[in-house]
Amino acid sequence: MTDDDAGEIDFEIDPEDLEGDVPVVAELGKPSLVVDDVHITYRVFGATKLGSRGAEDKGFLQRILDRRPGVGSGVREVKAIKGVSFVARHGESIGIVGINGSGKSTLLRAVAGLIPPTQGAVYVAGEPSLLGVNAVLMGSLTGERNIMIGGLALGLTEAEVREKFDEIVEFSGIGDSIYLPMKAYSSGMGARLRFAISSAATPDILMIDEALATGDATFRQKSKSRIDQVRAGAGTVFLVSHSIATVQSICTRVLWIHEGELVMDGPTDEVCAAYKTFVRKVRDARSKAAAK
Amino acid sequence: MGLRPPLTEYVRQLWKRRAFIRVLATSKAYAKNQNSYLGQFWAVLTPTLNALVYILIFGVILGVGKTGVENTVGFIVVGTFLYHFFTGSVNGGARAIRGNMNLVRSVHFPRAVMPISVVMAELATLGPALLVMCAIVWISGLMPGVDTVVPDWSWLSLIPAILLFWVFNTGIAFFMARWVAITPDIQNVIPFVLRFVMYGSGVIFSLESFVGDHPAGVILEYQPIAVFLYLGRSALLEEPAFPPDAGMWLWGLGWALSFAIVGFLVFWRGEERYGRD
Repeated sequence: MTDDDAGEIDFEIDPEDLEGDVPVVAELGKPSLVVDDVHITYRVFGATKLGSRGAEDKGFLQRILDRRPGVGSGVREVKAIKGVSFVARHGESIGIVGINGSGKSTLLRAVAGLIPPTQGAVYVAGEPSLLGVNAVLMGSLTGERNIMIGGLALGLTEAEVREKFDEIVEFSGIGDSIYLPMKAYSSGMGARLRFAISSAATPDILMIDEALATGDATFRQKSKSRIDQVRAGAGTVFLVSHSIATVQSICTRVLWIHEGELVMDGPTDEVCAAYKTFVRKVRDARSKAAAK
Repeated sequence: MGLRPPLTEYVRQLWKRRAFIRVLATSKAYAKNQNSYLGQFWAVLTPTLNALVYILIFGVILGVGKTGVENTVGFIVVGTFLYHFFTGSVNGGARAIRGNMNLVRSVHFPRAVMPISVVMAELATLGPALLVMCAIVWISGLMPGVDTVVPDWSWLSLIPAILLFWVFNTGIAFFMARWVAITPDIQNVIPFVLRFVMYGSGVIFSLESFVGDHPAGVILEYQPIAVFLYLGRSALLEEPAFPPDAGMWLWGLGWALSFAIVGFLVFWRGEERYGRD
C-alpha cells in the first residue's frame, strides 16, 4: 500500500486498520446495473443573480440589462452530471472518487433511483439501498423507532424488522443508547446505526456515501466484512470516498468523476494512481497560487 | 429506475408500505409534541386554547357568533377543532416532500407515503382532541340560557363524518405536496388562503345568518369545508339550523372521494420529480 503518497488525503483513516486487506475478488456475474448517458440538472433556489460573478467590471445599467426578465429570486439550473455511462456487474465493488463537488453523491443517488435523471436512463436488477452520512431518519425519535421506520422504508415487513432488531443493535454497537432520541447521538453513533439499518435488508445493490469515515477502527472492520458478505451474495457495492486507502481496500474497480463527467473507469490500481497524480497537481497549483 | 411506475403498480407498492405509513404517522404525531414539559398534553391544549380565543373574540366581545346560533360555545368549539384538522393537513401536506428531503433522498419508496402519513398523523392527534371537544360541547349545554346537550346515538355519526373529512384532507395534502414540491412559493400564500377559507366556511359564525339569501351563499354552503363542519355540528349539537341531513352526507362523500382520487392522480403524475429539486 502506498501510504506515503496518500498521507495527506487520507486524514480520516488509520492506514493500519486496513493494512493487508485486499479486496476479495468475487466472480463477476451478469450486469446488475446499467447507467446509460445520465444527465442530472438541479433546480437551485436562492442563488445570486446570473452573471453576478463578473459583474464588478460592468456598469450598473449593463447589469440591469443583463438580468433575465421574470426571475425575481435567483433560480439557477446546476448541471451536476453530464452524460455518464457505465455497466456494473453482480459481485463487483465499485469505488467512486473525485474532488469535492464533482458529482459523486449525485451520481450515486441517481443510481439508487432517488434523483430521477433529467436525461438518459438507469436500469437496475434488484432493489438498491443507499447509505449516506446525512441520511438522518428522524432526529427527534429514538434509535429504536428509527430502526423500525428505516426498515419499513427499505421494504421490510414489521415482523422482519423485529426479527432483525437485535442484530442491528448488536452490529451498530450502540447498546442502550438505542432508546435515546437520535439527535442525542454522536455523529459516529448515528452513522453506525444507519449503516446497520441500511445493510440489514441485504440489498442487491448497496451504496455507501462517505459513511465509513465516521466509524472507529472496529466498526470499519465490521462494515468491511458486511460489504464482502453483500458481494458474496452476488450483490454490487458502490462506495464514495475521499480516502484512497478505503477505496483500495474495498473496491475492485474505480470510477473517477470530475465536474460531472466520467474521466476514467478501470481497475483500482490504475485509476487510483492517475487520480493521485491529478490531486497532487491540483494541490501544487493551489499552493503556488497561495504563495503568490 | 427513477421512472414513474404505472398507476396500478404504484398503488400496489403503496399498499405494500401500509405498515410504513402507519408507523411514520404515529411517530410523527408523537414527535410533534415531544420537546416540551407538558408533552403530549399539547395535542389537546393547542386546539382548546385556539377555540378559547375565538369564543372570547367572536362569541363574547363581538357577539357575531351568537347570530342564528343557540349554543355559541359548542358551535365555535366544533368549528375550530375540525378546522384545526384541516389546516394541519394543508400545512403538513405542503411540507410532506420539501420538509423530508433527507428521507426522500436516502430511501426509495412511493412518495405518496409522505402526504398520506402526514394527514394520518393529524388524525392521530385529533383523536384525543375530539374527546375534549365532546366534553366541552356537553359542558356548554349546562350554561344558563342554553338547551342541555344530551349525548345520544347521533353523536356516533361524528365518526363517519371525521373519516370522510380525513379522506378529503388526504386529497388536499396530495395537491399541496405536489404544488409546493415544484413551486415552493406557494407555501407563502397558504396562511392567507387558510384564513380566507376559515371566514368563508363559517368556522366561528353561522354563514347562513349573514349571507343566507345572497346567490353566493349557496356556493359557500356546499363547499367542502362547510359541508364537513355541517356534518360535525349536526352530529353533536342540537341546533335548529343544523338538522341531520342526508343530502349533506352525499355532498361530503362526493367531495371526499373526488378530492382524494384527483389528488392522488395529480401527485402520482409528479412522482419522478420529487427529490430532484
